[in-house]
Amino acid sequence: MPLTVLLPLVVFGIAGIAILLHRSGLTAPRRFQDIADAEAAWLREFPDMRPLETHIDRKNQNAVIRTERGGGLVWCIGADTVARPLEGFAVLETENGLDIKFDDFSAPRAELSLSETDRLYWKTLLDPS
Amino acid sequence: MTENLTYPDVVSLAVPFFIAAILIEFIWIRISGKGGRYETRDAVTSLVMGAGNVASGIAMGFIAWAFFMVLWEMTPLDLGNSWWIVLLCFVLDDLRYYWVHRFGHRIRWVWASHVNHHSSQHYNLTTALRQTWTYTFTFMMVVRAPLILLGFHPAMVLFCGGLNLIYQFWIHTEAIGRMPRWFEAIMNTPSHHRAHHGRNPRYLDCNYAGVFIIWDKMFGTFVPEQEDEKVDYGLVHNLGTFNPLRVAFHEWVGIFQDMSQRGLTLRERIMYAVAPPGWSHDGSRDGSAGIKEKHLRQHPEKRGTPGFR
Repeated sequence: MPLTVLLPLVVFGIAGIAILLHRSGLTAPRRFQDIADAEAAWLREFPDMRPLETHIDRKNQNAVIRTERGGGLVWCIGADTVARPLEGFAVLETENGLDIKFDDFSAPRAELSLSETDRLYWKTLLDPS
Repeated sequence: MTENLTYPDVVSLAVPFFIAAILIEFIWIRISGKGGRYETRDAVTSLVMGAGNVASGIAMGFIAWAFFMVLWEMTPLDLGNSWWIVLLCFVLDDLRYYWVHRFGHRIRWVWASHVNHHSSQHYNLTTALRQTWTYTFTFMMVVRAPLILLGFHPAMVLFCGGLNLIYQFWIHTEAIGRMPRWFEAIMNTPSHHRAHHGRNPRYLDCNYAGVFIIWDKMFGTFVPEQEDEKVDYGLVHNLGTFNPLRVAFHEWVGIFQDMSQRGLTLRERIMYAVAPPGWSHDGSRDGSAGIKEKHLRQHPEKRGTPGFR
């Protein structure tokens, strides 16, 4: 197939499908229903790190997990979740809360939505040392 | 000798079919309320990865083609281009696919290319198009060398490879349950391939087939999808990004970071590239065998069931 046909087909095909999915409401982000939901998402990736204590941010999209073997963060991405141990990261304050920058090319960032009063407490949760 | 043999670029020709099939699957899911799920950014990432795969083929395909033509010049064998030779080529190329795919899960250097195909937590027809941009760097084109040296023309081999890829498109769906028993016994199907995409310990490293599931049955890697264990799609540790560049290159970056750690021996550096994914010099990570073993410690009743030898 000539590139003059293939290229527009691919570009308009991707754009068309993206618009269709977005207009169908499929861009809405997932939210944790409760602590048990967040812990299940954590255990899905780290089944041998049982949560001892879990805190969820105000948008119900991020949760800090404390386990016997250290802390972790589980967060919503698209319709799904991802989790990482709290190792090799930096915390930055933003207008809406805290930005966690992981030293991890496959999961570079999580945005925590927190009130100003909660931020300090969450900083200690993220890095209790 | 067969010269100037040409076949259509079937993958490009199939693009309109891919788009139409995605739309049909999506409409079916919306109408029936079952058969899978879609998410905008996940689907767009998969489609962009597919487009990038075609682009990388255009940009770097000449390397494999030049390699194949050198082999073709070397070989004294020429099987011609009759229909049954094409058929034989298709079957043998599928055997080639099985091994390349198996290497893709068991050698980290090859996994670095293949991992992006498994990086979606969804399983729909867009997932089929979430393909590698870096296949050339795996050097897996060498696995096709025996076919060329046996006398299959390079154009025929690539044509069969394209047909193989197109076959695998339709099996990336939850909208189809099981095919008739005879078909499930011989062919790769949505059910078999769903298991392959599972991150459940049971389903790790199984069902490498492209078209014919018989290869997995022959080589001991077949695990049937279990009615009582729903497939959980994605990676053992999922990606926290939809950025196609990160999807395409994250494992290569991981290899580089691991190999360049201080204090490693040369052997350890090489092992980070060629050992199975999850290998580490200090045993701090788990590969698929370790994950299965840990899972069995929590669920001893599963020992001896499919996927847990």
